[in-house]
Amino acid sequence: MDAQLKRGLLDACVLAAIKDEDSYGYKIIKDMKPYLEMSESTLYTVLKRLELAAMLTVYTVEHGGRLRKYYRITPAGRRRIEEFKREWCEIRSIANFILKEDTDHGKS
Amino acid sequence: MGKAEFLSELRRRLFGLPEGEVAERLGFYSEMIDDRMEEGLSEEEAVAAIGSMQEIYLDIVDDIPLSAIVRERIKPYRRMSPWGIVATVLSSPIWLSLLVALLAVVVSLYAAAWSVVVSLLAVTLSLAVACLGGVLGGLVLLFIVAPKGAMLLGAALVSGSFSVPFFHLSRLLLKLLWRLTLAFPRWLKTVCIFRRIL
Repeated sequence: MDAQLKRGLLDACVLAAIKDEDSYGYKIIKDMKPYLEMSESTLYTVLKRLELAAMLTVYTVEHGGRLRKYYRITPAGRRRIEEFKREWCEIRSIANFILKEDTDHGKS
Repeated sequence: MGKAEFLSELRRRLFGLPEGEVAERLGFYSEMIDDRMEEGLSEEEAVAAIGSMQEIYLDIVDDIPLSAIVRERIKPYRRMSPWGIVATVLSSPIWLSLLVALLAVVVSLYAAAWSVVVSLLAVTLSLAVACLGGVLGGLVLLFIVAPKGAMLLGAALVSGSFSVPFFHLSRLLLKLLWRLTLAFPRWLKTVCIFRRIL
């Protein structure tokens, strides 16, 4: 998949995974699993990118005698999700066009 | 592999990357393993679920920009003693020229590889053009001086058949060289990480 497109998709996915409640690394992976298999290193990269872009904040909580990092979405992160929804309509109409081309060629 | 073994192996491989970055990543993987164990997986299974060490390593190398690695790589020299700095500066006519020579060798080897590919492509193209011209000329000549026309036609076909292996060879080399060019940044990063130990 095109790297730029994939990056946008993964960012939106992770933001969606923390939009209802704060979450931690393993839970994010588990929640996304039915829809998308994401490796730990990919998740780390995405979380880091979103943190740098101020779309989420990180805080540490003690859990069972160890520390666990929690991720909380920021207003900028929520805006990004809304933006993604709008973009998605565009992408869908483009995809429809591409897929239509494909079936036309198949027929001829 | 146990958790401690996994983390120390990863730390060993990442030796030479920015320290804060490495610590943060190790913490991330450690948390992932703990969370999986909490869910009932054994330590070994939890580590295995993270994925292969080599894959993780390459993911991290791809993720960290070359500039950050180089910056980290150069850092130890900033802690040099005054005499070390003096010695480095004084010996610069030697190591600097060696470095420049090495660079020149690498660049010229690279350029030579490209020129081989370009010349092979040129051979292919000229054989193909000779074939095309020969066939056209031969066909015309066939009606004027039949034997000469047939000879020219034959020669053109021979030239055309030679162009096929040349075409495949040059395409193969071009692909190879292109792949090498693309792989170069990652290779440079891994070299930077390992040489840090010296």
